[in-house]
Amino acid sequence: MPTPKKLSELVNEIDATIRNRFVGQAFWIKAEITDVKKQPDKRWCFLKFIEKDRNLITTEMGGVFWSNSYNQMENFEAATRQQFASGLEITCLVKVVFHKRFGMRLEVMEIDFAYEVGKLENERKQILERLVKEGIAVNPEGSSRYYTQNNTLEMPMVFERIALIASANTDGYRDFRKVIENNKYGYHFSVTDFSTQIQGDAASALIVERLHSIYKLKEQFDIVVIVRGGGSDTDFKSFNDFELAKAVALFPVPILTGIGHDRNTSITDLMARQHKTPTEVATFVIDYNGDFENAVMQLHDRILVTSERLIDRARRSLDTYKRIIASSSPETIMNRGFAIIRSNGKIVVDAKDIAVGAEIETIMKQDTILSTVTQKQDNGNTNI
Amino acid sequence: METPTYNTAFAELEELVAQIEDKDIQLDTLAEKVKRAKELIKYCEEKLRGIERDIEEVG
Repeated sequence: MPTPKKLSELVNEIDATIRNRFVGQAFWIKAEITDVKKQPDKRWCFLKFIEKDRNLITTEMGGVFWSNSYNQMENFEAATRQQFASGLEITCLVKVVFHKRFGMRLEVMEIDFAYEVGKLENERKQILERLVKEGIAVNPEGSSRYYTQNNTLEMPMVFERIALIASANTDGYRDFRKVIENNKYGYHFSVTDFSTQIQGDAASALIVERLHSIYKLKEQFDIVVIVRGGGSDTDFKSFNDFELAKAVALFPVPILTGIGHDRNTSITDLMARQHKTPTEVATFVIDYNGDFENAVMQLHDRILVTSERLIDRARRSLDTYKRIIASSSPETIMNRGFAIIRSNGKIVVDAKDIAVGAEIETIMKQDTILSTVTQKQDNGNTNI
Repeated sequence: METPTYNTAFAELEELVAQIEDKDIQLDTLAEKVKRAKELIKYCEEKLRGIERDIEEVG
């Protein structure tokens, strides 16, 4: 047996061999990642690249982002709106590095987000196509809008009873509550919490469960609000889930979303009525009621103005008639010096009806004169 | 007097005024018509005041 080498001698030789083969080179690889361990304080991230044959891992290699490429991972999260986490397949540029103590690793230099973005875009497109194909949504040709049972429901005249799906103790939840509770009109809303985790793999199924709970009480709510906001912009994926989109599209109470993003519209947003942020949903709800109140106040004013006009007109007509009646009454006529002549209890209009010698009553304003007719004389044509 | 609506009371009043203005009116019936017309005017005025009050309460 030759003299045994020291460990370091062998490892140095391995190191030199690897260096010879790989120094100054980088390779694009496509692989699934797992065991992602981020250390944001140090800006390091350890992970494993794996390849499977069915469910069996056939190839595995440690990987790492050092601080010089840590922002690649952050950019990936921002661009794809999902967490950089186990289970993703990524395309990235790696260097092969060997460390005498920690062994061999693939050091990530760059990630191809375009690949992942394209993949997500494709998935999204497929889900939308399926929703249309199954008759859950209608997408008119040339339109980017999707019409569903939910987003075409007639809205109530006012919103008062709100079912709120959110993750309690998040900024989005607090923003919504704050705006609703401190509205300038002093409107009171009844907001019922249906708290749930709103990020992560289980989120879409949990949101669907909350919708089921609300469905059982559907008569008790005017609208359902789903909000998410503040904090991480990643993990948008749950809102592109087919089952969630379907549940939202078919829901019988109008759903307003404020999922807190402005670059992208999730499928859930398309199935419901989308607002950008929790604050915007709350503002919309308040203004909606404000518009209703304004409309009512305008009607109220119109009623008052119109009825005043009607009453005025009625009063003027009455006044006119009052004058006519007053000037036509027998008292008024007698006040002017006219008298009524009565004979045998009947009013006499024509002197021909009275014979000489007849007794007549001349009724004047105060008294009645009784007299006997002694003579009749033609007035000729002279008018009095 | 039964309680007619403002409109029926007013229509009757209009009719009476037309009759009173007619030069062929019989004096016998004039006093009666004037009396009825005055009742109707009073009724209409009260009704109007009531309506106005109700509207003011709403306003």
